[in-house]
Amino acid sequence: MRIREHPILEFERGREVEFDFDGRRLCGHEGETIAAALHASGVRVLRKSIRHGRPRGFFCAIGRCSSCLMTVDGVPNVMTCVTPLRRGMKVETQTGKGTLAAEAKGAGSIAGDGSGSDLGTVPLAIVGAGPAGLSAAVYAGRLGVESVVVDENEVPGGQLIKQTHMFFGSLEHYARVRGVDIGTQLCRELEKCPSKLLTGTTVLGLYTDDPPWKTLSLMKNGVRGELRARTVVLATGASENMLAFENCDLPGVYGAGAVQTLMNVYGVAPGERVLMVGAGNIGLIVGYQLLQAAVDVAAVIDAMDEIGGYHVHAAKIRRMGVPILTSHTILSAGGTDRVERATISRVDSDWQPVEGTERTIDVDTICLAVGLTPNCELASMAGCDDEYVPELGGLVSAHDADLETSVPGVFIAGDASGIEEASTAMLEGRLAGLAAVERLEVEVDREKLLAMKEEAASGLSELRAGPFGDRPRLGKERMLALAASRGGDR
Amino acid sequence: MKEDVVICRCEDITYGEIVDAVRGGLTTTEEIKRILRCGMGPCQGRTCSRLIVRIISQETGVPVAEVRFPVVRPPSRPVEIGVMAAGGPPDGNPSGGEYDAD
Amino acid sequence: MTERRRDGVLREAEMGPVVPSAERLARGPVVIVECVENIPCNPCVAACPKGAIAIRGDINDTPVVDFETCDGCRVCISACPGLAIFAVDATGDPALVSIPYEFRPLPETGEIVTTLDREGAESGEGKVVRVLSAKALDRTPIVTIEVPKNLAMRVRHFRRKPDRGGTS
Ligand SMILES: Cc1cc2nc3c(=O)[nH]c(=O)nc-3n(C[C@H](O)[C@H](O)[C@H](O)COP(=O)(O)OP(=O)(O)OC[C@H]3O[C@@H](n4cnc5c(N)ncnc54)[C@H](O)[C@@H]3O)c2cc1C
Ligand code: FES
Repeated sequence: MRIREHPILEFERGREVEFDFDGRRLCGHEGETIAAALHASGVRVLRKSIRHGRPRGFFCAIGRCSSCLMTVDGVPNVMTCVTPLRRGMKVETQTGKGTLAAEAKGAGSIAGDGSGSDLGTVPLAIVGAGPAGLSAAVYAGRLGVESVVVDENEVPGGQLIKQTHMFFGSLEHYARVRGVDIGTQLCRELEKCPSKLLTGTTVLGLYTDDPPWKTLSLMKNGVRGELRARTVVLATGASENMLAFENCDLPGVYGAGAVQTLMNVYGVAPGERVLMVGAGNIGLIVGYQLLQAAVDVAAVIDAMDEIGGYHVHAAKIRRMGVPILTSHTILSAGGTDRVERATISRVDSDWQPVEGTERTIDVDTICLAVGLTPNCELASMAGCDDEYVPELGGLVSAHDADLETSVPGVFIAGDASGIEEASTAMLEGRLAGLAAVERLEVEVDREKLLAMKEEAASGLSELRAGPFGDRPRLGKERMLALAASRGGDR
Repeated sequence: MKEDVVICRCEDITYGEIVDAVRGGLTTTEEIKRILRCGMGPCQGRTCSRLIVRIISQETGVPVAEVRFPVVRPPSRPVEIGVMAAGGPPDGNPSGGEYDAD
Repeated sequence: MTERRRDGVLREAEMGPVVPSAERLARGPVVIVECVENIPCNPCVAACPKGAIAIRGDINDTPVVDFETCDGCRVCISACPGLAIFAVDATGDPALVSIPYEFRPLPETGEIVTTLDREGAESGEGKVVRVLSAKALDRTPIVTIEVPKNLAMRVRHFRRKPDRGGTS
């Protein structure tokens, strides 16, 4: 199940190591996650659920959903989708909740320079090293403002590190460059800036009870730390939506992001034949990426009566013979401890299944690409107001045209402020970074600052001007109106 | 939808159980979270919150936009108790979040 | 709503401005830019060394090819993020169709492949006459196949024959 030849990617795998899985000796590559190594060896069931003992595999592959908890070297509840494999590890299927050894960790330092757990203060802290966060750091940096960028992933780039396709947009904004390469280019830009990147570091909390300071509580490898910042840009991206259907928790039902991580980061094919649920851009693109990894795509289905994504993405998979079935939904997944088949049916205009149109197809993987929800937990913890704006993906922190939330000095940008694209995320990150600099009231070339902000804002309007930009444009307009009606005094 | 469809993966709570809870009068995500525990497992509701809000909306007729999502508390990710103990969080609340590691 | 929005297949009815006249097709190679939606994208404009592709309004407008200026040089094919550009040389029979092809292994020159139309339906056989995979194409190789002239505007992909060990 390892991908040996790929048209876009070359996989740099660590050395081959042996590990133990429920008493069996398996091989994997050092540095890949435990879940990826198990998947490559054909193991899909990672745990049994706590009450009903149902088999569970991974689902999100980015440490968010808890589906992949296993007992590793005697320690239960280890998130195997983000824990790197090491030689000789003893990995066990976990049943129930597991009992936790409360051993205190706490040696080492987050910054990696022996500075201990207090990381001091910084004018600007940025959470998330995706296109939005990196752009915020780069543009603040161009005005000489120091920043710290924190990302829980070991590799910076956010979603970009999984995107093998060329991006749309304008040539000035990385169009025709592959997503993976945009990430690398942004990181190179960052190196020229007075910015520090902390990878593999999770922001656990954000506290704003000591204005103007914001305190970020950080964790890296079980070591906790604290960073205080005058301004914060939250560029935490989005999480995938779940869809409920019969047996939706069966191993082999994976989020599109998980499929991408497995396939494009670790070079492990998610299965042999996939049903893709969702014909938006993500479903269409991941469908194409599966074909590039020599995985068969049985069909792409969507409950809407039209394809949500760009025609060009649909055309790429159609001409390879993949059917796109609009007005279709998934009713159930079948199989004993892994997906063996899926039953789909037509839906009527109220999205209700039409009886007699059920069809069962043999697939070993069901990939869900049914939308994203902005990650605004940190903003909520910090006390930022939120608004429910469906066009932006649901509950989003209220923000103004400068992307500032209801808490002065806390900004939100990219998918976290409304689901859009990398191209808009970069511009929003830029704008938020610049607005944060403005908030800081430090000595900068003000004219230059305002010109740069204006450039970012007009770039955003241009990108949102087409029919596919309608939704986010309306969402942003609604958000501005809501935010204005709430906080007139700001 | 079938009764036994699992909605909350962490705590293994089914569609049927949530519908029963809503019909029994628990019409906010906070109440459902306290009684059924969905949203209190290691994922902190990241996977199921949206689905639960939809079920509440469908059962009570309250629009999705008006059903409140559960309150977010730190930590944003599960943290081992030992790590918590090794260094208290800045606000001095040693247990931090609601993730219990039993 | 067009059928295309429902099933992802571009039909002739919508292809008007995309397709050059029969007279132009007979005169020499030309590109076919199958980009009919208003999406924010413009790399094709800069890619054309002749300046034959224009996006007239804002970045969301569809590209328009000046078929008199375009000489079918194919430079734009690998520049299109949507892989929506093809080149057709219908001056003879068989005609030549050039296709962006991001799959491995690449076909070999002289290989006979199964040709596919926009719906992925098999439309016959074609012979691979050229495979361009220079570094400048940034991992979007261009494969040129010989197809019967009457299929030049229908063949948009191909599948390697199973006995060659290829996958798609
Ligand atoms: C399949 C697919 C195809 C796409 N194709 C395109 C395309 O062609 N063109 C285009 O413009 N866009 C495309 N996109 C969209 C684009 O990838 C996203 O819109 C973009 O990545 C959003 O950027 P961001 O910086 O807001 O968030 P992300 O890229 O998601 O980055 C967020 C980062 O924040 C980190 N983070 C989150 N919470 C924490 C925390 N508590 N502590 C520490 N770190 C944290 C995460 O680890 C992550 O690295 C595609 C997306 C997908 C999934
Ligand atoms: S937490 Fe590991 S799969 Fe979601």
